[in-house]
Amino acid sequence: MRLRLERRDRPLRGGQVRAFVVGVLIAFAVGAVLLVLSGHNPFEVYQKMLDSSFGSWRGLSTTLTQAVPLGLAGLAVAVAGSMGLWNIGAEGQIVAGAIGAAWVARLGPDLAGPLLIPLMLIAAVAAGGVYALGPALARSRLGVNEIITTLMLNEVAIRIVRYLQNGPWKDPTANNFPVTPELPAQAALPDLFERSNIGLLIAAAVILGFGVYTARSAWGYELRVAGSSADAARYAGISLKAKIFTVLVLSGAIAGLAGGIELTGSSSRLVEGVGGGYGYAGIIVAALALMRPSGVAAVAVAFGAVQVGGLAIQTTGVPASIANTLQALILFGALAAGVFGNYRVVRTAAAAPAGATA
Amino acid sequence: MNETTLIGLFVAVIEFGTLLYLAALGETIAEKSGVLNLGVEGMMAMGGVTAFWAGVETGNPWVGLLVAAVAGALVASVHGLVAVVLGGDQVVSGLALTILGLGLAAFLGEDLVQERARAKFGSLNLGPLNDIPWAGEILFDQTAVPWLALALGVATWFVFTRTRVGLILRAVGESAAAADSSGTSVVKTRMIAVMIGGALAGMSGAYLTLSLAPGWSEGTTAGRGWIALALVIFGAWKPGRVGLGALLFGGLLALEPRLQTFGVEISPILLSMLPYVLTVGVLVLLSVRSRNRPSVAPAAIGLAYRREER
Repeated sequence: MRLRLERRDRPLRGGQVRAFVVGVLIAFAVGAVLLVLSGHNPFEVYQKMLDSSFGSWRGLSTTLTQAVPLGLAGLAVAVAGSMGLWNIGAEGQIVAGAIGAAWVARLGPDLAGPLLIPLMLIAAVAAGGVYALGPALARSRLGVNEIITTLMLNEVAIRIVRYLQNGPWKDPTANNFPVTPELPAQAALPDLFERSNIGLLIAAAVILGFGVYTARSAWGYELRVAGSSADAARYAGISLKAKIFTVLVLSGAIAGLAGGIELTGSSSRLVEGVGGGYGYAGIIVAALALMRPSGVAAVAVAFGAVQVGGLAIQTTGVPASIANTLQALILFGALAAGVFGNYRVVRTAAAAPAGATA
Repeated sequence: MNETTLIGLFVAVIEFGTLLYLAALGETIAEKSGVLNLGVEGMMAMGGVTAFWAGVETGNPWVGLLVAAVAGALVASVHGLVAVVLGGDQVVSGLALTILGLGLAAFLGEDLVQERARAKFGSLNLGPLNDIPWAGEILFDQTAVPWLALALGVATWFVFTRTRVGLILRAVGESAAAADSSGTSVVKTRMIAVMIGGALAGMSGAYLTLSLAPGWSEGTTAGRGWIALALVIFGAWKPGRVGLGALLFGGLLALEPRLQTFGVEISPILLSMLPYVLTVGVLVLLSVRSRNRPSVAPAAIGLAYRREER
């Protein structure tokens, strides 16, 4: 007897939600084993994670703040992903966005006054888009695989910040420490409630806006057609080259916005780690959400909670790296479980001769 | 610039080249079978932390290397299970493997950070060979690991081009359906290739924490796994060319901390961008060149294979 996967006539309804739940269960089960092995009580640890992320207004506001870059990075990946393109460069585009925003702040705080933050965010969007320009051109004009080009530029972006803080943008008052100067006070996003800021509203509006627009507009329809079949798109008169180019640049711009909000909302100065791994996590978020904006928002909040929980349990001696481990495990669990939404396991009597099953 | 600093540079070129080559060779094997594994950085970190742990426990670097290879293969098998057996997306699964490997390594290595390295690879003692000017110090005053990497590279080249196993591997990577109908198990072949790739990435991590920079700290892999990925493309999926690329990129890594000694007024940080920028450049060149001829990349790379859907 052998086991074989057979495609279901139609995918299970709600299969992805189910897969996500299974993924979470698997991840936390594996996590519990790791915690026990390292001498911690998993129930206590998970209780503390839950309390710190959802147990109070303060916790909830932190969770939602963490969800902002995750959601925007997830949306960036999802916009490209709905056309079958992989933007692995969100991490670098977030950094580029932060550089753009920091550059505006450097031009002089008195330059813009109340306009400073909007200008910084616009610069962030532009910088993120510009940073995606190269891979977008290479992919649309020459057919160069965007996965590796966008990935490589992540490492370059981090080093650009390293260069800036060691050289041209080094803070002269920081006792020769390689840091960029602190941002002016008026470059901080206004608070919303507890520990959240209006970046939350901006991100929610952008994600919602994209969700509605791609669902309703001809543009969104073309995107999905192009994503499902290049031939169908050509037949429908959609210019693939132009579409690929715009989508990748747009994806970079959204990630850039995440960088702008990160800088103005959560940091006091531009640092090398401004990307915070959000770009990579965003790929997991988008994949779990099946490239749908509504799903991106939901998964981003869940991942934000895991991250906040991970930071909170540090006080009890559990390394915060458990958070990233859990996120990756959720994805693996959900990827595996998701297969069973589209396939079912059937038994076959004996190994069929190759070719006979086709 | 005197002789000592120059010899020091060449020694470092080989050291960094070895680090990159082990991981890139593993990735080449996986990709040849049609599986892209973006988890190199994570597998390297897992190899590094387990090797260092085993080194501290046993005092023997070779045990560390072996443990790292096993750990790397095990971590890689998660990617194999999800992306090969179940046919999940290779890009997503591979990136998740990097996040998993880095996270898990940091978690497991929490208590190892203060630990002093008890096991380090020692230099080879080849008697008279060590006394040859220049070559003695550069080639033979190394540990055995660079030679091991070279041997593995030659072996991989031999298997790829001269054996039936290599033929099967390439067939699976070029056209899984064709390989399947000729009786090859696509899943088994790919799974083995991915796990060998993981083992080599793990060994690369071991070389890092037991020889190149003895010790363990979070983030010690510092993006070298991404360079290894880049090298595979740079070397056009050929073990020999990947090796030359490893020496070139290893050279850039070795030059980085030495630029000032050589009196070059360029920021070493700008130099450190070069491997990544070069790779993008090579990709663009390859695609311009390959417009009129077949691509050098394995044709089935990134594609899941399910028998019923061919």
